Amino acid sequence: MSEPAIRISAMNKFYGTFHALHDVDLEIARGEKVVICGPSGSGKSTLIRCINRLEEHQAGEIEVNGTPLDDNLDHIDEIRRDAGMVFQNFNLFPHMTVLENCTLAPVLSGRLNRAEAEKTAMRLLERVKIPEQAHKYPGELSGGQQQRVAIARALCMSPQIMLFDEPTSALDPEMISEVLDVMVGLAEEGMTMVCVTHEMGFARRVADRVIFMAEGRIIEQGPPDQFFDNPQNDRTKAFLSQIVGH
Amino acid sequence: MTHVIPASVPQPSFAEAIKGRYFSTRRDTIVSLVFAAIAIWLGWSLVNWALVNATFGAGQGDVCRENMHGGACWSVVSARWRIVLFGLYPFEEQWRSGLACAIMVIVAILSCVPWFWSPRRLPVLWVAGFAAFYILMRGGLFGLPEVTEQNWGGLALTVFIFAAVVLLGMPLAIVFALLRRSELPWIANTMALVIDTIRSLPLLSIMFTFAIVLPFVLPGWAIGDKLYRVIAGYALFFACYQAEIIRGGMQALPNGQEEAAKALGMTYWQRIGYIILPQAFRNALPPTINQIVITFKETSLVTIIGFFDVMASGRAASGTAEWNFATIEMYVFVGLIFFVFVFSLSRYGAYLERRLRVGTR
Repeated sequence: MSEPAIRISAMNKFYGTFHALHDVDLEIARGEKVVICGPSGSGKSTLIRCINRLEEHQAGEIEVNGTPLDDNLDHIDEIRRDAGMVFQNFNLFPHMTVLENCTLAPVLSGRLNRAEAEKTAMRLLERVKIPEQAHKYPGELSGGQQQRVAIARALCMSPQIMLFDEPTSALDPEMISEVLDVMVGLAEEGMTMVCVTHEMGFARRVADRVIFMAEGRIIEQGPPDQFFDNPQNDRTKAFLSQIVGH
Repeated sequence: MTHVIPASVPQPSFAEAIKGRYFSTRRDTIVSLVFAAIAIWLGWSLVNWALVNATFGAGQGDVCRENMHGGACWSVVSARWRIVLFGLYPFEEQWRSGLACAIMVIVAILSCVPWFWSPRRLPVLWVAGFAAFYILMRGGLFGLPEVTEQNWGGLALTVFIFAAVVLLGMPLAIVFALLRRSELPWIANTMALVIDTIRSLPLLSIMFTFAIVLPFVLPGWAIGDKLYRVIAGYALFFACYQAEIIRGGMQALPNGQEEAAKALGMTYWQRIGYIILPQAFRNALPPTINQIVITFKETSLVTIIGFFDVMASGRAASGTAEWNFATIEMYVFVGLIFFVFVFSLSRYGAYLERRLRVGTR
């Protein structure tokens, strides 16, 4: 099991002529929890979205669980099934109930039959503490509840890696902790996690490694204690002082 | 205008409400009285014409002509309704045409029942309904005498053309909309060109082209009956408009919907079938109903190329020397038939909107 969960080497991403990611190298071990932070426009969301091909990279290599991410659609499907994703805006399917949101992908992919999928979904909804909402529509839930459903939905595919793209940025302040609690729980169970977030308390508590990005490059990375208490790079220092400054 | 009034505010009585709304100032009072007078006069004239002074009963043609009270002569409807409903269809076989229409209406009603809304049940229902309609109308099977398409007419023909156009046009519209959104620019651009070209042509010219010009171009085995060529042309026309409506519905969806489906490992067709299309159709429901209503009404254009749809049959029914004074009554009758269909369609559309709104709040 020495193979990393995610391996990115010399990856470059362009939007037209805009160079969004420069020569990114990153290895994430199984079970590792990585938090990526940085100013907006630094490429952190783009990076995480390249991992499951929501964005296509133009140069360099990405491997997830040993599967190379290339133009082979089977590889892309395999990687997407291995890596669950949670979005800033939840992106639940509004025309389906919470339960249907959770069972759709497992049933369509042939992983589980309907009964098994519903059982799994109910177990996971219980874990994110909203089993009683199973038959409601997403529009009837609060933002925090929707995001917890989104986490349960991703978990229903039994992913080995979870990608979080600013999962709490669209939430009202009083709902942030209910989502973070679920994420902490996941981390404690040993899930491999990559989180783009500004929740530095969460980073300090669960991250094995914090990565700071700016202008499409990884500027600095290290364990949270070192990263927060003794940052090396000036831009990291400036960024950290801005977030904790007020 | 309904306003939600909190429970604590006392509701005004009926008389008070009337007074407040229509008679609160002198000018309001004058306007209300003038328009009330006009409305009463119009209503009274209409009732007089349509009911009080009207003549009913099948054998009353001569009565109508002689005692002209200025009232309507509904005898023409009693005498000639079969022509309107069945056109040139042979008299003793007209029960088949009636039954076929009834089957189509039942299929349409059934497909409004949510139980049938599954990707399997709905197509089965419509294909079966259509087959039953066709066998009944065309005959030549199960001992039913054959009646060729040239002799189809009246309401049955209108219903057939309408149902065939929507049924062929809707899947085609979905395909067009998907091609129009293709990631390959040459496909998307070609589709856009095709859609824009066909939308810029008058429906009439498309029908003419398909009915009259196409036989010169196509190989013999591909020509088919004129009726099917017209339906094909009309379906293409419908598909181009409906494709843009569906595309509009797709564009209203946030990107995140497709991304979330991708991230869950769903394939292209799964994303289209379970995530994109159901939501796109919901967004596009009002214009879709609109398009379907227009399509139903414009079926009467087929008269121009020699078909006796319900509109043409109506004109034929009052076109004889015996009944030529009763044109208006005949048009009212035909108008009523259109009204029944179009009004039910709109009510159904409104019901769908209410029902589908559940998930969007």
